Amino acid sequence: MDFDFSEEQTLLRDSVQKFVKEKYDLSDRRKMVKKDPGYSEESWQQFAELGWLGLPFSEEDGGFGGDLIDTSVIMTELGKGLVCEPYYASVVLAGSALRHGGNAEQKDRYITGIISGEIKATLGYAEEQARFDLNDTATTAKKDADGYLISGTKSVVQNAETADYIIVSARTSGKRTDNKGITLFIVDAKAEGVKLQNYPTVDGLRASEVILDKVKVTAADILGELDKGLELLETVRDEAILALAAEAVGQMELLYQDTVEYCKQREQFDHPLADFQVLKHRFADMFIETEQCRSLLYRALLAKQGGLAESRRVIHALKYKIGEAGRFVGENAVQSHGGMGVTEELRVGHYFMRLAVIDATFGNRDYHLGKYTELMEVPEDDGAEDFMPFM
Amino acid sequence: MDISLSEEDLKFKQEVEDFLAKHLPKGPELWTKRAEWFAALKEKGWDIPNWPEEFGGPGWSATQHWIWDNVTSKEVLPPTLPFGLVMLAPILMKYGNKEQQERFLPDIRDNKVMWCQGYSEPGSGSDLASLKTKAELSADGTHYVVNGTKIWTTMGHVANYMFCLTRTGNTGIKQEGITFLLLDMKDPGVEVKPIITLGGSHHVNQVFFTDVKVPVENRIGEEGQGWTYAKGLLQHERKGIAGISRSIYALSKLKEKAQRVQVGDKTLMDDPSYKQKIAKAEIELLALEYTEMRSLADMVNSGSPGAQSSTLKLKGTEMQQTIQALSLDAAGIYGAPWAKKIGPKFAKGAMESYLNGRPATIYGGCSEVQKDVIAKRVLGIG
Repeated sequence: MDFDFSEEQTLLRDSVQKFVKEKYDLSDRRKMVKKDPGYSEESWQQFAELGWLGLPFSEEDGGFGGDLIDTSVIMTELGKGLVCEPYYASVVLAGSALRHGGNAEQKDRYITGIISGEIKATLGYAEEQARFDLNDTATTAKKDADGYLISGTKSVVQNAETADYIIVSARTSGKRTDNKGITLFIVDAKAEGVKLQNYPTVDGLRASEVILDKVKVTAADILGELDKGLELLETVRDEAILALAAEAVGQMELLYQDTVEYCKQREQFDHPLADFQVLKHRFADMFIETEQCRSLLYRALLAKQGGLAESRRVIHALKYKIGEAGRFVGENAVQSHGGMGVTEELRVGHYFMRLAVIDATFGNRDYHLGKYTELMEVPEDDGAEDFMPFM
Repeated sequence: MDISLSEEDLKFKQEVEDFLAKHLPKGPELWTKRAEWFAALKEKGWDIPNWPEEFGGPGWSATQHWIWDNVTSKEVLPPTLPFGLVMLAPILMKYGNKEQQERFLPDIRDNKVMWCQGYSEPGSGSDLASLKTKAELSADGTHYVVNGTKIWTTMGHVANYMFCLTRTGNTGIKQEGITFLLLDMKDPGVEVKPIITLGGSHHVNQVFFTDVKVPVENRIGEEGQGWTYAKGLLQHERKGIAGISRSIYALSKLKEKAQRVQVGDKTLMDDPSYKQKIAKAEIELLALEYTEMRSLADMVNSGSPGAQSSTLKLKGTEMQQTIQALSLDAAGIYGAPWAKKIGPKFAKGAMESYLNGRPATIYGGCSEVQKDVIAKRVLGIG
C-alpha cells in the first residue's frame, strides 16, 4: 500500500511547478486576465510542447496514455498557480467527452488538434432553468432535411470565447427533464446562428452564454449515441469533479500555509497573531479539513480508476466535501488575514474566489450531499440483534 | 499510488477470518467461553499482537495490525485488560529492568492481574506534567514514600496494581523530576473513592495516598525520567482510541436499526433530515478511513505515523460521538428511562453509549490538546 506519486508523476509535478514559478507572478496575472483573450497563447503552445495537452489521451489517439491520477497531479499544480489557460475546458471537459464518446473519425479530427494546441474546445452542458441537473435540457436539436437545427442557450460555458468547437447537449426527444433523449453535438463555434455573450468570471477566468439559433449540424457531428447523451455527460462530470477537486486541494493547502505564515509575522496586542490559541485551533481545523479532502480525493481517484462500485457515490461525497471544506478554509483564510484578506494584492483572496466558483461548478455541496444521500447504501435490517450498536 | 494488499497480506487476512470463524464465541458464550478464546489466541501466538517478538509477540507489520483491527471491528471480542497489555507492557519492555519484566509481564499476558493508570490529578488534567503527587526517597534508600492523589482512575476499585507518575524533584521545568513507579493497590495508605459518572456508572475513581511505601525495585528506569517514558506511551494510546473501522461498522448497523423506528407509515431512515445526517457522518468516515490508510502507509514506508496521528485521534473520537448521538436520536424518548425492559429493545443502550462516549474526546490528550499538537508539530507554530 502506498500513496506516493510515481517517478513520472513527480517529474510532471515538478515541471508544472517550474512553469508556474516562472510565468505566474500574481501581479502579471492580474494584468493578463484583463486583456483578451485572458491568457497567454505562448504558454498554451508551451503546454503542447511539454506534452501536457496530450496527457489524458491514449497513445493510439496520439496522446500519452495518462490516467486520472496524472490529470489530478497537473490540475493541483495549475490550481496552485491560478493558471488561466483553458486546460480544464479543452483537455478535461471537451477531452473527456471526446475520449468517451468520439468515434474514430472524430478522435482523429479533434483530439489530434487538441493535443497539438491547434484546436481548442469546450463543453456547454448547463442551462439557467436546470440549475445543476444535467438532464434538464431545454435546448433542442430538431431534425432537419440533412441534419439537425439546434436552438437554445447554454450557460456559463468555460472559455467559449476562444474555443473552436463547443460540444453542447441538446434534446433530440422527450420532455425537458427526461433522462433519455439528450444528445451531444460538436458545434463549430463559427457556425451561423452561434452567438456568444462573453464575460470574465470572478476567479480570473473567462466564460460565455452561448446562444444557439437554428444552428445547423449533421449526424456526423453527434458525439456518442443519439438520445443517450446523459450517460456520457455524467461520465464527463465524474472526471471533471476529480480534476476540480485536485485543483481545490492544492489551493486549500496553500491557503492554510499562507495564513499560518502571515499570522506568524503579523503582530497585534504585542504578540504574533499565531500565538493566540483561538487562531491556532482554527489553523489546525483548516489543516484537518484539507487533509480529509485529500483522502477523499485519493479514494475517489482509485475507485474510479479501479472501476469500483462505490466510485459514483464517492465522487458525490468528494464534491460535497470539497465544497464544504473549500468554503471553510477559504473564509477562514480571508478572516485571519484581516483587511489584507479582501485585497487583490494577496493570493489568498484569489484562491477564495476560485474555491467558491469550484463549489458552484457541476453542482454545489447541497446538491451533491443530496445525490450521495440518494445513493447511500442502506443495508436490510437482519433482525438478528435487538440492540443499538454499542461503541 | 496503490491500495492493493500484497498476496502475503491477503493470505493473512484470510487466516484472521478463518480463525475468528473457528474460535470466536458468539452471543451468551462470549462470557462463558472466554477462557477458551484466550487459550486459542495464545496458542496461535496472537494474544499479544502489540508486543515485540523478543517478548513473545507475533511480529506483525503495521499492515497486519490494520488488517486485524479491520476484520475484528465487525465482531464483538471478549474484552482484554488494556491498561497492562497495551499501555504498561511497552514501557516495561523498553525501560524496565529484567527482574521487573520477569515479575510483571507473564501475568499481564495472561490477563491475571489488573492494572490501573495513575496519571491525572485534580490539578493536572490536560497539563499532565504539572502533577504534584510527591514521592520521597527514604533515608536508607530502600523505598519511596508517596503522598498525594490521582483522579479519573479507570477500574481503580478492582485493580491489583497502579503504574503512576510521581514528583521526585522540582527543577523549575515541570517535565523534569517526574518518576515512574509501580504501586500495589493493597499497600497501606492507599484509599480508593468512587466517582459516579453521568447515568450512574462506576468506572472511575479518585485514589488517595498517605505515606504509601513503594520499594525502589518498583521504580521504572531512572529517577526523574518518568515523563520521557510516559510520553512515548501516549502515542500508543492515541492510535488505539480513533476506532475508525469500529465506527464504520457501527454506522452501518445504525442504518439497519433505524429502519425499525416507526415514523408515521414510514421509518426513520425515510426521514430526509435524519438520513442526511447519516450521510454526512458516512462521508466523513469515507475520508477518515483513507486518512488512516495514508497514516498506515507512512508507518510502513518511513516508520512513523506522520502528521495524521493527531488528526485520527481528534476526528476518530468525534465520529464515535456523532454516531452515538445519532443512535440516541433514533431511540427518541426511550433514551430517557433508566430502567430495564421498558420501551423498544432497539433503544436499549443508546443513552448509555452516548453518555459513556463523552470522555473519548477528553482522555488521551483532549481534542483541544490535539489541535495544539497539530499547530506545533505540523504547522510549526510556537
